[in-house]
Amino acid sequence: MLKKFVYFSFPLLIIFLVGCGLNTQSLKIKGSDTEVNLVLLLCEKFYEFDKHFSMSISGGGSGLGIASLLNGQADIANSSRPINSYEKKLFQQKNIELVEFEFAQDALVIIVNEKNNLDSIDSDELKLILNGTIEYWNNTENSKNKISVYGRQNNSGTHAYLKKKLNIEFSSHAKEMNGNAQIIEAIKSDPGGIGYVGAGYVIKDGRQSSSGYKILKLAEKKGMIAYSPLDPFAVKEKKYYLQRPLYQYILKSSYTKAKRFLDFEQSKEGNKIILENGYFPIQY
Amino acid sequence: MKNTKYRNTQDSIFEYLFRFVGLISIALLLGIFLMLLYNSIAFFTDINPIDFISKSQWNPTNDKTKSVYGLLSLLFSTLLVTLGAMIIAVPLGIGTATFISEYASERLKKILKPAIEILAAIPSVAIGFMGIVIIGPGIANLFGLNNGLNALNGAILLAIMSLPTIITISEDALHAVPFTYKEASYGVGASKWTTTFRVTLPAAFPGIIAAVMLGMGRAIGETMTVLMATGNSIAFPNGFFDSIRTITATIAIEMGEVPYQTTHYYSLFAIALVLFIITLGVNIIAEILAKRFRKYQ
Repeated sequence: MLKKFVYFSFPLLIIFLVGCGLNTQSLKIKGSDTEVNLVLLLCEKFYEFDKHFSMSISGGGSGLGIASLLNGQADIANSSRPINSYEKKLFQQKNIELVEFEFAQDALVIIVNEKNNLDSIDSDELKLILNGTIEYWNNTENSKNKISVYGRQNNSGTHAYLKKKLNIEFSSHAKEMNGNAQIIEAIKSDPGGIGYVGAGYVIKDGRQSSSGYKILKLAEKKGMIAYSPLDPFAVKEKKYYLQRPLYQYILKSSYTKAKRFLDFEQSKEGNKIILENGYFPIQY
Repeated sequence: MKNTKYRNTQDSIFEYLFRFVGLISIALLLGIFLMLLYNSIAFFTDINPIDFISKSQWNPTNDKTKSVYGLLSLLFSTLLVTLGAMIIAVPLGIGTATFISEYASERLKKILKPAIEILAAIPSVAIGFMGIVIIGPGIANLFGLNNGLNALNGAILLAIMSLPTIITISEDALHAVPFTYKEASYGVGASKWTTTFRVTLPAAFPGIIAAVMLGMGRAIGETMTVLMATGNSIAFPNGFFDSIRTITATIAIEMGEVPYQTTHYYSLFAIALVLFIITLGVNIIAEILAKRFRKYQ
């Protein structure tokens, strides 16, 4: 009986797949791991309005997204950093035109293990920790106090953003993890861990989304007031030190079909999703 | 008459078919090697091969003047984690093989052998995940470290992954030692332990070496597990408690981001070529030893 069903359904499946290919428009979106979850949620909601639009979304890092545009493997690249001059040159060489689109804002969150007694940090201290100058918490040299820096790989926009914003080279002892989720897991189990993740991974509905780690307040300079990324007013007033626009780069040739989705992202419905998931709309 | 002709045609068709299929795998190997070589040559026109071999820092950036393509740290990481894996896996593997072949009862053998083969079928991501959630924290507790994302973690996981290869092939080698050898040994009054240690194991030695080599090949080429469990920091490692970045992990991390046809893109082929040469070498040595072992029988 089951066997019969499988044989019977197989041609139907093929017809279905072919049908999809004919009747719908498709968009391929690749890139930033910071943005992938948010864009996925936006796509799901958009799909409820427009069932004839099929989209595939994957992560991998901003650099990967932009490289995919260049190699013809995507229509839209999510990127948590602006495209750099080297990449611009490559696009010019290939005669590919791009449209830049800022669709949301993200706060970059610095987290430590929950056992750490630190609550806030200023940008100068942060620099010295990330570039490996300070190796021990509280300046006491024993193995329990050793700082381990967890970050992303160099294809990550978050990695590039932080490097540029703080004007540092990361310590060569910094561990390079495979995504935001792995950084959080590692810091939960490492009492000396410190790392950076996109707000969407640690903030949900305005609160820290799970336990085991601590979100640090950030001050721009020593002695200045430290603001928490959990405070929506600080982010709204652009007082949180590490906040940045999130970009999408669209191939000019795909722009008309992508337009409806981009409009949706800026609609009231879209902004609501952005805010609910720990990100911030461009205007609000 | 007609029948014979039909049979002859059928035979020759199949002969050509199988010959063709056989040649495909050779063509594939050659094709892969040539592709690696071609792209590596493109890399070496940009970067001095001596710098590539002698520098210890791997730091490709978008800014061409600041990029450093040094092989040493990656190569050392790969060799360190493989060495660690072999230190763990070789005694365990040969011990298990000896037990299965010489001491285990028929019933136990029937359970043990398939169980070990199933071990080989566990996906590498699953083993990598085990490294993050079980072995990593375990190492951290045991040695008083803050985290267990280091070469030792990778070595333990790779040992688990290469054990099935080592056990299965060693066991075959031990099993193939003629029974007359043992009978002769018992005949002069040797105990079972002496016979195993002085007669059976030495007789199977070339086969065991081949098993170890193949297990090593498995460990060197493994990607996902080391990528997940060893932290991937680019600093030159000082020992088993340091985080490492192997050749395979580097290729996996960076392949996704590179724009095609750039120095960085070609550099990944160059390190892949290094890896290819290492594994090829290991496999050739294993093959030569296995052949000597077969002659020995």
